[in-house]
Amino acid sequence: MRIEKCYFCSGPVYPGHGMMFVRNDCKIFRFCKSKCHKNFKKKRNPRKTRWTKAFRKAAGKELTVDNSLEFEQRRNIPVKYNRILWNKTVEAMKKVESIKQKRQARFIMNRLKKGKELEKAEAINEVKKNIHLIKAPHAGKMVQKNLTKCCFTQ
Amino acid sequence: MALYNFKKIMVVPTAKDFIDLTLSKTQRKTPTVIHKHYQIHRIRHFYMRKVKFTQQNYHDRLTQILTDFPKLDDIHPFYADLMNVLYDKDHYKLALGQINIAKNLIDNVAKDYVRLMKYGDSLYRCKQLKRAALGRMCTILKRQKQSLEYLEQVRQHLSRLPTIDPNTRTLLLCGYPNVGKSSFINKVTRADVEVQPYAFTTKSLFVGHMDYKYLRWQVVDTPGILDHPLEERNTIEMQAITALAHLRAAVLYVMDASEQCGHTLSQQLELFNNIRPLFANKPLIVVANKCDVKMINELSEENQACDRLLAHRVDTKMKGKKVHDVLNRLHLAMPTKRDNKERPPFIPEGAVIHRKAMEIDAPKRKLERDLEIELGDDYTLDLQKYWDLMNAEEKSDKIPEIWEGHNIADYIDPDIMKRLSQLEKEEELREKAGEYDSDEESEDEEMQEIRKLASQIREKRKLKILESKEKDVHGSRLPRTAKKVDRATLEKEMEDLGLDMTDKNESHYAQQAQRSRSLVRKRKREASAPPTSRTRSQSASRPPRDQSGIRDAKMMKKAKTMMKNSQKGMNRQGKKGESDRHVHDLKPKHLLAGKRKSGSTSRR
Repeated sequence: MRIEKCYFCSGPVYPGHGMMFVRNDCKIFRFCKSKCHKNFKKKRNPRKTRWTKAFRKAAGKELTVDNSLEFEQRRNIPVKYNRILWNKTVEAMKKVESIKQKRQARFIMNRLKKGKELEKAEAINEVKKNIHLIKAPHAGKMVQKNLTKCCFTQ
Repeated sequence: MALYNFKKIMVVPTAKDFIDLTLSKTQRKTPTVIHKHYQIHRIRHFYMRKVKFTQQNYHDRLTQILTDFPKLDDIHPFYADLMNVLYDKDHYKLALGQINIAKNLIDNVAKDYVRLMKYGDSLYRCKQLKRAALGRMCTILKRQKQSLEYLEQVRQHLSRLPTIDPNTRTLLLCGYPNVGKSSFINKVTRADVEVQPYAFTTKSLFVGHMDYKYLRWQVVDTPGILDHPLEERNTIEMQAITALAHLRAAVLYVMDASEQCGHTLSQQLELFNNIRPLFANKPLIVVANKCDVKMINELSEENQACDRLLAHRVDTKMKGKKVHDVLNRLHLAMPTKRDNKERPPFIPEGAVIHRKAMEIDAPKRKLERDLEIELGDDYTLDLQKYWDLMNAEEKSDKIPEIWEGHNIADYIDPDIMKRLSQLEKEEELREKAGEYDSDEESEDEEMQEIRKLASQIREKRKLKILESKEKDVHGSRLPRTAKKVDRATLEKEMEDLGLDMTDKNESHYAQQAQRSRSLVRKRKREASAPPTSRTRSQSASRPPRDQSGIRDAKMMKKAKTMMKNSQKGMNRQGKKGESDRHVHDLKPKHLLAGKRKSGSTSRR
């Protein structure tokens, strides 16, 4: 029993879900849902389709190179079952997962920091230019009442 | 040895048929439609294809003929000689040679014309070239008429030749005509050769098969041989001679003891002596036939002939050169002893035990099936118990496979703990370096104030935009100054902007408003001074059109209402005015008529 990865969106394909397509050159494509399958049939490139993980990683929107990501890796040489090892692995997995999530979150936060700066600058700009919409320039100041000096015209 | 089966030769068509066949095939199998306006390379290709196709067909057919017909040098000399006797070797070779030449000529013609066609610049020229090419090829073939006819006859005759295997056990019957050879073969085999009282009933070789000592024997019946020298022999006799010369068989020289064939015994003996050289190296039996007339038992001779032939064959095989070749190649190699150590054959223990168990028929180990029967319904196939693990007690563990969307198998690594500790160290360092500290709210109060104001500004703008969108003015509108500004709204707006608007009766805008109101009142009709000149006074005194003929405000209102009422209809129809009589084309036919053909059909 394995949770596979969808070829298109890189999401998890649980057993009993999704579709598998085997091409004539024996390459296997698994899809988690018909959306991914249909996109594939339309020959769309997952690296250019914005909502896929492949795009996000390729466009630098998500953490790609990191030590914590090296732990989960499909291995070709099976290791014989050993209770201690399995127990240790499960514990290690949990720890690695937490660290991974922290790091991924940090990466995204860093990326979005620049936006905050821009936001600040924009707010300042907005206030400078358009303050007249909510506050008159001389609001709150005492105005001398001018004696009427106007001449009546008819 | 391959059976000489000449029945598989393809039919050789006559020249006329051949030409018709190929031309009609070209007509049918190549594209036929071509127009003048096609591109020149397409036209050229079209005609070239026809020429090449015709050439290909001729070539294939002729090659097939050439390969099907046996080459006299390649077949057994018996058949070569037989064919020479029957069809004349020279004529045969010549015919095939002519066919070969024709084939080459056709190839050359095609090549030349294809080359020429590359320079054809119009449909007409290419077509003429193609006609010329095809015509020449057909003429070449027409000249081969004789050869083809001859070959067809050869083929027909060849296919009817009896299949005599020159290398198997054969008995050859020969002798004068009418001595009883055919009767003998009829008796001995299932062959059905014509037996008649006249000489030369049998005109060619016949084969029959019989069984003796669990082996198949061929019995070959020949036409009779007369006693004259070789050069004077005719075709029929030559066949018999050929058979005698080339078949390694036991020869049964049949003599007519009763002289019913029309030749005396002495004559028959003469013949026998004449053809004696042909019997060299072959076991020979002289058969005295028709002994019912003259009493000599001849059936036993047959057995003797067969036995003798068998022995003869074995002898010749042993004595032949070929055997020595084979013997030279056979060599039994025995390895020489390296030292005196005993090296008996090694039998693994398991094999020995297995053998013993087989002998004793001891009970084998307990099978799964036995277990199944024992446990009945409780039985579960547990393959985990056969696993080869380091600790045996872990065999029955339930192994976890998945955790929170991750495969555990992907994380299994003997040195995972080491890597994990490294990772944790790294993480600690990072934390110490302050990477994970959340950013302080570096926003001071000023910044927060600014943000609040900015959000208020944005809200206000959006509201204003919405307001302006809600106004029902499309197209041209009045300038801002044409509208009257209401005092109350003005004061309210300024209040919202933070100004103090109390007690503003003496302000400029209020005073101005009072003044302008007085001017708006209608002018009363007053008696004015008589005008100086007529025209100017008329224009001055003439009232504007929408006030002329109207007594008071009430009438004006009514007039206005009537006007608006009359305009309602026109407005609803979207007309510009009374004079707008334009008929709109709201359903243009060129857009709405017709079938929904290919293309997007989501709208008209």
